[in-house]
Amino acid sequence: MAEIAVGIDLGTSNTCVSMMQDGQVKVLDNAYGERTSASVVHFHDDGSVEVGNSAKAKVIHAPAQTVSSAKRLIGRYFFSEEVKKAQAIYAYEIVEAPNHGVRIEIREEEFSLPEISAMVLREMKQIAERHAGEPVTKAVITVPAYFNDNQRQATKDAGRIAGLEVLRILNEPTAAALAYGFGMGLNQRVAVYDLGGGTFDISVLEIGKDIFEVLATCGDTFLGGDDFDDRIMDLLADDFVGKYGINPRNDPYAYEKLKLAAENAKKALSVDEETHVAIEEVMTNEAGEVLGLERTITREEFTQLTQDLVMRTFKVCDEALQQSDLTVRDLDGVILVGGPTRLPIIREAVAHYFQQEPRVDVDPDEVVSMGAAIHAASLVGEAQDSMLLDVTPLDLRIGVAGGLAEPVIERNTPVPIEQTRTFTTFQDHQESVQIRVYQGDHRQAEDNTLLGQFEFSGFEKGLRSDVKIDVTFEIDADGIVNVTAADQRTGEAASTQITLSSGLAEQEIEKIIEQDVAGRVANVVAAEKAAGDQLQSITVAGNEPESGTPRVSADEDSPFGDGSQDLSMGRDDALDLDALDVDETELDLVDDDDLLQLGMENGDGAPMDGITLDAPADDDEDDGFFDTSGTDLAGPEIELLDEEK
Amino acid sequence: MSTAIEPLEIEALARIMDELDYYQLLGVDPQATSAEIRKAYHASSRSFHPDANRTLPNELRETCGRISKRITEAYCVLRDSRRRKAYDTKRGENDDVSTLRIQIAEARNAHVEARKSECRGATAQGRQFHAKAEADMKSGNFAGAIQNLQMALTFEPANAGFKALVAELKEKQKSGN
Repeated sequence: MAEIAVGIDLGTSNTCVSMMQDGQVKVLDNAYGERTSASVVHFHDDGSVEVGNSAKAKVIHAPAQTVSSAKRLIGRYFFSEEVKKAQAIYAYEIVEAPNHGVRIEIREEEFSLPEISAMVLREMKQIAERHAGEPVTKAVITVPAYFNDNQRQATKDAGRIAGLEVLRILNEPTAAALAYGFGMGLNQRVAVYDLGGGTFDISVLEIGKDIFEVLATCGDTFLGGDDFDDRIMDLLADDFVGKYGINPRNDPYAYEKLKLAAENAKKALSVDEETHVAIEEVMTNEAGEVLGLERTITREEFTQLTQDLVMRTFKVCDEALQQSDLTVRDLDGVILVGGPTRLPIIREAVAHYFQQEPRVDVDPDEVVSMGAAIHAASLVGEAQDSMLLDVTPLDLRIGVAGGLAEPVIERNTPVPIEQTRTFTTFQDHQESVQIRVYQGDHRQAEDNTLLGQFEFSGFEKGLRSDVKIDVTFEIDADGIVNVTAADQRTGEAASTQITLSSGLAEQEIEKIIEQDVAGRVANVVAAEKAAGDQLQSITVAGNEPESGTPRVSADEDSPFGDGSQDLSMGRDDALDLDALDVDETELDLVDDDDLLQLGMENGDGAPMDGITLDAPADDDEDDGFFDTSGTDLAGPEIELLDEEK
Repeated sequence: MSTAIEPLEIEALARIMDELDYYQLLGVDPQATSAEIRKAYHASSRSFHPDANRTLPNELRETCGRISKRITEAYCVLRDSRRRKAYDTKRGENDDVSTLRIQIAEARNAHVEARKSECRGATAQGRQFHAKAEADMKSGNFAGAIQNLQMALTFEPANAGFKALVAELKEKQKSGN
């Protein structure tokens, strides 16, 4: 029997897990019969953790202990716009970690974003195990096509922390196209319009009998269904300010209430022409009076409030079509993905833009996880049923003199791919070079996302024209970037390999895994079940020692029955993780170094030489060899050798 | 539906890979159409894409990975008419192995840059008619653009940029009709 591998659509708002069974792809429901679970993690007073729709309900009472939309923060730097925005919106504490990382602080305990996402993934793992009747350790996890390397890497780390071997990081629109076209013998060009909770992607694909080739993908990671909620929420909040002169946005409880009301209003407007919002108590004023809010919102009003957001998606669509050398008339189908595409205003606008009715036969909330499951099964199966040929969404660039970033691999280049560029030093007898790798579409280095940087000194010193450093850029099939530098003259003698920052160093990840497996996650399942708790959740006690064997009690709909195998994550899982480490060729800790090396091609045990992984702002050790006239971000101590000269 | 490929075949291809040009690597004719190139890319991917090789031993998987990346590079250059043109020019220069590959990011730009300086024209009249042709192109008047470019060519008979543009416009006219 083939191994079990599931597909997980880890969304900003909701997460969904699917699995192939007997040649059929099945969306797996949780213990409450829900086919998607909110990507929300609630931390209880005792340190235990609850995930899913019930956790989401907790946000009103304990906003500071309830983490939602973690996907908006994963793989981001602390100084990024998105983090600032999240700090303004969310009641939970967002703090800075070393290397400009981001942590969520709950009751004086810090969690990285991969850990938060891992808790959601762990819930999915458990759902899958309940259905499969055996441990599930392999998964394909989807990400927005427009995710950069940092975000992909962090998502992969989350999978690992959750105890999953991530077979592939798959782009959401590609997964959707697979679910749509798999086994249909199609020969079509399609667009996948994917508006998620926090991101927008558009991919144009050519679907052959068994080949799914992405022609182009474009996106906006700052645009999603949440933004539509926010517009309604602003309407309500402004109303409230107008009525009482108090801004409810400043009160986290009031804020969450309005947010929930806005989301419900949005959903209602998908069905009805108008909806009535009535909140008995938004907050109380200083005099102790209860202040409520009532308002009717029409679909027309909502359309106007969000028109610019919809138009923004079509700008991105224009770009994707242009990049694939197609017009809307060349498309045979349009597939909608993501809950927000249920909104009639979006469906109508999409139909208008593409000059055809979008396909509505696949559930936009489930189609991505279904596609991921199909691919997962195909990856562990005997025969490769379908090939996915994807592209990289962003230009990959290297920092060069003058604070500029030179493209090495342009966006919409198929992956996997590798390109080698030759560089020389900025000055004669320079001791080392700083190599900075960026992703983004901007010529100015600082306008792009810094993926990582490292110092390379393992080359033979000499006159600047004599020094030739080959820098090899690789993007693997997961869209993950790996960069290697080597001296052309001495060849393999001095090669340096880095993997760019995922926000967590390998040691940290290992520590997290160890802690998790050692007890945290395991105990609470037992504790909760024992308490006959209503919570459909996994997880996590504080630092209690491992006690007993966590298992699903008999009254649960469990294939294990009472007293049989562990459902969860205790010691058994530790074994799984060990096994995982053994056959892991993709994630390697390099000897004694604590730096993370996440390349596809380690193996040669190349020494890691003086590598630093720093985010932009520290223009640190500057040996006087570098041009320091630039900004902090510039750091251009190498020069591109023009082969033509 | 992966095409099973023998380990010996993989190793052999990896050994000679550096001596193959992109056409040879994909197994297509240098005159191949873009549809043929795409088809060859799909066929090669079935054998060498990492997803198709999960069951191979690590070392062979790595070798496949190297081949796969080179195949993608070949496809990336040949599927794009501008890159392909730049590549064909470079490949025709001499028989050196160094002309068998081209930087994908530069291929595009090199061609655009060369085209730009060539296209603007070397003589005042050439530039003038070229500017008129550009205006025609903008308004979709391909016939007018061709006429103006042919005028420009009477002043600069050797301007390859003008010639290429005329050829391109004629092509466009043909496919447009």
